[in-house]
Amino acid sequence: MNFILKRVVKLMGTDTVICRCEEVMRSEVVRELEHGAVTSKALKLKTRVGMGVCQGRICRPLLEQVISFYTGGTRLPSPDLKSHHPVRPLSVIELAETGKDL
Amino acid sequence: MNTADAVVIGGGVIGTSIAYRLAEYRKVVLIEQGEIGAQTSGSCDKAIFLQSKKPGFPIKLAKASREIYENLEEELGMSIEFKTNGGMIVMESEAHMEAMKKFVKERRKAGMDVRLLDRQEVHAWQPSLSSHIIGASWCSQDAEVNPLLLSQAFARAAKRRGVEMRTHTEVIDILCEHQKVVGVQTSHGHIATGTVVNAAGPFASKIAEMAGVGLTIMPRRGAILITEKMNPMIHGNILCSQYIAAKHAASDTYDMPSYGIGLSLGQTASGNLLIGGSREFKGFDKSVGPEVLSAIAKHASRIAPVLHNVKVIRSMVGFRPFTGDGLPIIDQAKEVEGFIIAAGHEGDGIALAPITGHLVAGLLENQEQYQDLLKPLRLDRLQAV
Repeated sequence: MNFILKRVVKLMGTDTVICRCEEVMRSEVVRELEHGAVTSKALKLKTRVGMGVCQGRICRPLLEQVISFYTGGTRLPSPDLKSHHPVRPLSVIELAETGKDL
Repeated sequence: MNTADAVVIGGGVIGTSIAYRLAEYRKVVLIEQGEIGAQTSGSCDKAIFLQSKKPGFPIKLAKASREIYENLEEELGMSIEFKTNGGMIVMESEAHMEAMKKFVKERRKAGMDVRLLDRQEVHAWQPSLSSHIIGASWCSQDAEVNPLLLSQAFARAAKRRGVEMRTHTEVIDILCEHQKVVGVQTSHGHIATGTVVNAAGPFASKIAEMAGVGLTIMPRRGAILITEKMNPMIHGNILCSQYIAAKHAASDTYDMPSYGIGLSLGQTASGNLLIGGSREFKGFDKSVGPEVLSAIAKHASRIAPVLHNVKVIRSMVGFRPFTGDGLPIIDQAKEVEGFIIAAGHEGDGIALAPITGHLVAGLLENQEQYQDLLKPLRLDRLQAV
């Protein structure tokens, strides 16, 4: 998986979409990396990458590969993006009526 | 060796606002253990509420901050999605009417543009709300901002003024000699400084302890639901009268609704709805159970049935720094010269961030114009009780 993604990063153009939900381009991610951001959390706060409906379920591995590609694999030991309840999107009324299972 | 005229600890909306203002006078280093605006300031709602503050000093302070917002985007040089769409506090029951009339009267007396809306007026302005809402208070001065952009905007503007931002850096110790701050020991080296500003929000007590300063600020946990993007359906911010009760209840008292639930509803510029929220004392435990999230959803869907089929994509949990009397502490510690506290804004950090920067600069540079706002924020007001 990582091997394939590494190849993908190399093949990408600057206008490749990293995050489809929020329409974040690789060029925006790279710009923030060049301005000193080094974690996916920082990139999320600056570009909204991973903030959409999929909550990073689709874009996170790709984003992490882009970071790794540009930072030479040096990753900070800081916590990266976490998952939050609910595990999958569910409607407000479903949530209101459960009270138990998420 | 590293030196600074002031070290600001904490890179949330409060710390970045302070660093930006102080940089006008001093060489400032800001230390943040994680990312800029990623903790409390990145897990809160977006309201700049004026009418929710108590009459008297709290309203005076909030108004001073609100005035700064008017030109803040221009000053910081980027959009923070500041919008002046007003805000309302809705009532579900006739039983709240008398209290609400008094609430409106007090705020009008304080010079605010607040009035009572009847059922028809509420529905004309917010068609998304349930028909059982009997009325609301309305304030045209309530506004909204994107808290994530606010932290980023203060941080960028501070950088332009020469502030050095050290993220992923932890404070290990505050070094003092003869009851005077002389430096900060961090996970990435030592900084010699005579001034430390503790803007660590819910973590401020821990930082104060390093300097030998007693400070009680408790983390009050708040959860908010975030939905998928929707077309505009909510105008400005909406609170419910139960929210006001939960906000001003000093602790988990008998008049506190379960989990401190009160509606706080708004829609971001990108279309996501933010549905709050809860208020609980659970230490720094971030794992909010499904019963709390469900209670928030239940309360919100009763007031705004249009939410029923909107999808919740995540929840977020933050720790609001709680002082006990609803006001932050902005003061120099008596025990240690050069140790400044600027923390404890609880749920008003977004509303009060702009004025806090000015107040800390005013305190350190002895600016006369801010002294009347600083006096009620002294640390000893809480110790005297």
